[in-house]
Amino acid sequence: MNKSWLERGAMSPNHARYLRETRITTIWVWVLRMGILVSFLWLWEWATNLRIIDPFLFSSPSRIWQLTSNMALSGELFGHVWLTTWETVCGFILGTILGIAIATLIWASPFLSRVLDPYLVVLNSMPKVALGPLFIVAMGAGFGSILAMAIAITIIITALVIHSSFQGVDQSYLILARSFGASRYQIFCKVIFPACIPDMIASLKVNVGLAWVGVIVGEFLVSKAGLGYLILYGFQVFNLTLVMVSLFIIAVISTLMYQFIAWLEHRLLRYRLGG
Amino acid sequence: MISSFAVQVNHLTHTYLTKQTEKEAVKSVSFHVSRGEFISIVGPSGCGKSTILSLIAGIFPYTDGEIVLFGEKVKGPSKRIGYMLQKDGLFDWRTVEENIRFGLEVQHQANREHIAFSYQLLKQVGLEHVAKFYPSQLSGGMRQRVALVRTLTMKPDILLLDEPFSALDIQHKLHLEELLISLLSQQEKTAILVTHDLEEAIAMSDRILVMGGNPGEVQQTFLVPEELRSLSPMKARGHPSFRPLFEALWQEVEKS
Repeated sequence: MNKSWLERGAMSPNHARYLRETRITTIWVWVLRMGILVSFLWLWEWATNLRIIDPFLFSSPSRIWQLTSNMALSGELFGHVWLTTWETVCGFILGTILGIAIATLIWASPFLSRVLDPYLVVLNSMPKVALGPLFIVAMGAGFGSILAMAIAITIIITALVIHSSFQGVDQSYLILARSFGASRYQIFCKVIFPACIPDMIASLKVNVGLAWVGVIVGEFLVSKAGLGYLILYGFQVFNLTLVMVSLFIIAVISTLMYQFIAWLEHRLLRYRLGG
Repeated sequence: MISSFAVQVNHLTHTYLTKQTEKEAVKSVSFHVSRGEFISIVGPSGCGKSTILSLIAGIFPYTDGEIVLFGEKVKGPSKRIGYMLQKDGLFDWRTVEENIRFGLEVQHQANREHIAFSYQLLKQVGLEHVAKFYPSQLSGGMRQRVALVRTLTMKPDILLLDEPFSALDIQHKLHLEELLISLLSQQEKTAILVTHDLEEAIAMSDRILVMGGNPGEVQQTFLVPEELRSLSPMKARGHPSFRPLFEALWQEVEKS
């Protein structure tokens, strides 16, 4: 690490010192992050090799890696990964869009909003996975039920959050739009909706996580394929390496999805940065 | 019938209704504003002065009495009115140039000619260089100037100003007062300013209404003498007749 990189872009000796200190901190953060990961994996591998913990129960990094590469090479893995990812993406996008649609509907009619309020409260407090059997009966043991679960788990909370965000829009915006003669429809499209986009993205972020819960539980209940199915199957035949492989892949994909939304947020909300 | 008055307010009464109670905010207020006249309404907070502006702007319907603009009764927001609030209300997600054409978009008039006019105004207030900026990148004074451009773009005949300068520091405030007066005098516009700043009221207006009481009523009207009216707001503050009028106004407001 040479000095010139640490002090790149410095305006003055003082600024150079500041830059060097911040950059060194950043390097340390990364070193420790990687250190934690590597030592955790190493400790796990070492402990299972010495039989301090039972590899049959807790598997080991090398076993997980071996199974992952075997399943990847045989092509078996991709079907499962693709199916679950597709279910999750459909689930959280549909759940968010439908939730925003409900929020719009009850915003458009305060009367309807009052009528529906107790139903929304009950539906929101209901544990949605408990509806699983109903979905299976209604839609069969397959894709439909799993998707329904992911949507059920995201839609109501999205509707409630976005509706309250619609109502929280700065009053002076509304008065101003009215004074220009804007209709209620124009006020919604030009003021309320754009003002709430940050909250919509925030609910997308939450919904990614929730949709995973819906899809995995859905696959536990009905599926013959997918990562949730692999977890359940691995558990039933006591192949815990398979369970770990599935968890590892879920961790990777859900992080990628979250990062994608964070990137989207950055793109859409550039006006907030002031730069 | 062509009215010589831009605004006529006759026995205006407004009551806010809530579940718990009803509150009379304005009670039988009457005043007239001539074309091209600049009047100020001063008074303690809660006397209903901002309510009167909202009612003239047609934001919500009044309970009783009538408001007449150029001979026509107010039934809702009018294209002849430009309304400015203390909060500039610039939309964070729109750039300056998108903000100033908001009114044009709403009224389906965003054609080349009107947009060119809004740019010309932006230039007049000295902000053409920030057209592509977002409001979060501007200072308070610049934001309020953009808001002024957005209002004037619609070529309103009557400006309603609800303490638009009171959140600004004194330097920006004086600059903005000067700018507003010079823009208005070029275009023969009528204006009603609501403020709690008595100096600002004297420096800017032709006539000052003092409101008081709860529900609010017009207590007293002060005419600003010709020698002050002809001066710019900054110069008026230094004129010998400024102080005596301020004292008189102060005493009247204290009474309320």
